[in-house]
Amino acid sequence: MTITTAPTSVAVKEQTTRASVRKNRFWSWVIFVVGALYFLVPLAATFYWSLRAEKDTLGFEAYRRLFADANFLPSFSESIVNAVAAILISLLLIVPTAYWVTLRLPKLRQVVEFITLLPFVIPAVVLALALIRLYSRPPLLLTATYDSSRILLVCVYAALSFPYMFRAVDNGLRAMDVRALTEAAQSLGAGWPTILLQVIFPNLRVALLSGALLTFAIVIGELTIALFMAQHTLGPYMANLTRSKVYEPSAMAIVAFAITWAAMGIIQLIGRGQQGQIAGGH
Amino acid sequence: MTYLTLSNISKQFGDSYAVQDFNLEVEKGEFVSFLGPSGCGKTTTLRMVAGFETPTNGSITLDGADITDKSPNQRNMGMIFQSYALFPNMTVSQNIGFGLRVRKASKSEISDRVREMVSLVNLEKHVDKYPYQLSGGQQQRVSLARALAIRPNVLLLDEPLSALDAKIRVSLRAQIREIQKRLGITAIFVTHDQEEALSISDRIVVMYEGNVEQVGTPFDIYNFPKTPFVANFVGSLNTAVAEVIDPAKGLLNLDGVQLASAAKMDGLMQGDKVRIAIRPERFSFASEGKKANVVDCRIENITFLGSVVRVHILIGNTKFTMDTFNYPSLALPQIGDMNQVTCSKEAVLIIDSEK
Repeated sequence: MTITTAPTSVAVKEQTTRASVRKNRFWSWVIFVVGALYFLVPLAATFYWSLRAEKDTLGFEAYRRLFADANFLPSFSESIVNAVAAILISLLLIVPTAYWVTLRLPKLRQVVEFITLLPFVIPAVVLALALIRLYSRPPLLLTATYDSSRILLVCVYAALSFPYMFRAVDNGLRAMDVRALTEAAQSLGAGWPTILLQVIFPNLRVALLSGALLTFAIVIGELTIALFMAQHTLGPYMANLTRSKVYEPSAMAIVAFAITWAAMGIIQLIGRGQQGQIAGGH
Repeated sequence: MTYLTLSNISKQFGDSYAVQDFNLEVEKGEFVSFLGPSGCGKTTTLRMVAGFETPTNGSITLDGADITDKSPNQRNMGMIFQSYALFPNMTVSQNIGFGLRVRKASKSEISDRVREMVSLVNLEKHVDKYPYQLSGGQQQRVSLARALAIRPNVLLLDEPLSALDAKIRVSLRAQIREIQKRLGITAIFVTHDQEEALSISDRIVVMYEGNVEQVGTPFDIYNFPKTPFVANFVGSLNTAVAEVIDPAKGLLNLDGVQLASAAKMDGLMQGDKVRIAIRPERFSFASEGKKANVVDCRIENITFLGSVVRVHILIGNTKFTMDTFNYPSLALPQIGDMNQVTCSKEAVLIIDSEK
């Protein structure tokens, strides 16, 4: 009696488990499909709309007009330069700070983390007004000319990137034995610049790239602060475009989206190569 | 002439001392091990030699020059870490050549030295691999080659074998010792493994709670421990409290059993209590040949440990263990039997007096 009931109960249990897994899988798919539609439908609609610039035919006329616009490329290139400059400033500030905190001042990690989070907490409008107020009078007069305002804007963008950059760098540093690597390099005769440039930076490649590309994605289309500082970057250009054109804003949105996705793709591609090295290295 | 000298070194963290009044003189080409349990200050001392920690007091001199305040990158010390600390972004040959590149050596010099080091640690087939493609033992050999490539003044090894499995550990420690002897390099080795320290060192510094307990050759440390801690920490040991009967003749009384000891009993009087120590392997069955001390015992238990048989015996009211080699003709008594064991006078050590 017991011999026959035991396998039956096991079989019933197995069936129940299998049914539960099937049910879970079904709902996972439902959530995935709903999520994908929520994301893809507006994108597809925008793309479709961007193709309708010519009457009765689908084509890339809106894109052609966008790239032909005399203001597009200057504002686009200005945004790129601003983004690159902001990334460099951010890297120069964040990497040594995060490195030093990890190596020598681990107790300060939370304080630094809080400081880097501030750009998340302060609304862009408030930040822009505060900056203009602070930097529009001597001795810190930076809003007098277009170029000096641009320097200020780049510094603000660098600050805006801190949350992303610090987190990315901090994660990268946690993935390696910073102390042992530093001491190994020191015992071999390396000074701080060599340690940072030849040991720490190369092993943070993925983290730095993630931080840099996230910064790039944020800065490239930033509107509020650029508007307040009367800068001719991509953000204000896009805002103007929506007011005056019908199809080009959609084309612009797709272009911006493609840039962001390309940035993410690059992070994934480079990250795939380095995962094994870091993991296996310890 | 002494090559490396640590004079009155202390290191204080907050209110507590990690190392206190540490003194050591190391000869050129000597292999010295710092042995002790976790937290005894051995790694802190090594890190002070490397320059990663600054002594609170004392000085370190290398070849007559004071290096106490020199930064680690100016000391030319090759360091090997427990975690290997290989640079993950560099191949084996790039790792080994790193120190030479920092020193701005010529390309040909670097490539010659890397080839020499790679062959020294038998890694010729792995020069273009990254650390993550190597086993733990191979990684540690790269680390050794990297440290030696710069022709360091002193080779510092911070528990380099702890992360490896038992077999690799034994073969790598033999390889480290062989290379150290061949190159005649001065080495300081930190370990908590007494077998490792005993097998590899010219001298051992046994440390406990930031203090040096004893400095000596492996033979001295094992056979003539000077403190109860050294006696207990290095090797297995039987300890018991005995009473002095005749200090001049070295006679002791252990639970009514008379024992003779060759240990000095200066300052001890009849009736004083002393802590005696006898290594398990210093006992043998009296049937195999009698020595100075022959005592009755009861066989409590017998444990086979492969090449060694451990016999648990009761002498008086005190439990002892006795180790004997396991050979096929070994005639072991039965558990519960009465028997006689013997040991020499020299085997009975006095490690503490309780006057």
